[in-house]
Amino acid sequence: MSMASLFDPRTVLLAKHAQHVVLIHFPIALFLAGVTFGLLGTWRKRALLEEVAYYNLLAAAWSTLPALATGLMAWRFQLEGQKLRGLLLLHLILGVASSVTIGLVWWMHRRARLWRRPLPGYRVAVELIGVGLVTLTGHLGGLLSGVNGPG
Amino acid sequence: MRQKKDLLDLAVVTLLALLLSIAGSARADEAANPPGVAVKIDNFTFGPSTLVVARGTTVTWTNGDDIPHTIVATDKSFKSKVLDTDESFSYTFENPGTYPYFCSIHPHMTGEVMVK
Repeated sequence: MSMASLFDPRTVLLAKHAQHVVLIHFPIALFLAGVTFGLLGTWRKRALLEEVAYYNLLAAAWSTLPALATGLMAWRFQLEGQKLRGLLLLHLILGVASSVTIGLVWWMHRRARLWRRPLPGYRVAVELIGVGLVTLTGHLGGLLSGVNGPG
Repeated sequence: MRQKKDLLDLAVVTLLALLLSIAGSARADEAANPPGVAVKIDNFTFGPSTLVVARGTTVTWTNGDDIPHTIVATDKSFKSKVLDTDESFSYTFENPGTYPYFCSIHPHMTGEVMVK
């Protein structure tokens, strides 16, 4: 088997499904930061924190697209689209649910900005559900990749 | 008395013939189906990671991890489905050569089968 080089573009672009494992950290970190800044902004009544939250959530929502795409490509190409079961199926379902929730949270913040209205009262519940989904999906991803495993 | 001895001799000869035929068929079975070799997947490693086997040997991989794994030959000559815990995949190596393989979910998991 040929050795991969960190500085070889083929390694970066074509190395198995390594892209998904790297890219997935962006929406996770941006979403958690966005929710934290948003809640802090609401609690401290600081517009700057809410502004920071908005741009974190915007970046989180967009970064779910390459993360989802590379995950689906890993399924299609590495596993040849075979029927998923168990942890892999759960990871896929939770990943899609997380992405939809991240998009929904960003959309709520965007709508509030555009209409110059306060965020809806149920926003905290949706954001906390999102945090739970992202955490669970990430934990399963860690198990599947071996990071959270016994090794 | 003589008849009784003949019957006893016949029984002994029959028993010996039976034992010989069982032994012979066992050897024939062994030749037709060479013994298999097992590879255990445990803690994200193939054990043993390198196998040397004779032609016609069937290698069986069993996933002992709680995490799904796959067995994929680098040259794509064999490929398993996703194996959940305690599931197995077998492949019979008919041709001599070296067969490196890996887990497509965890590409750092690699192994090799050398067929003599």
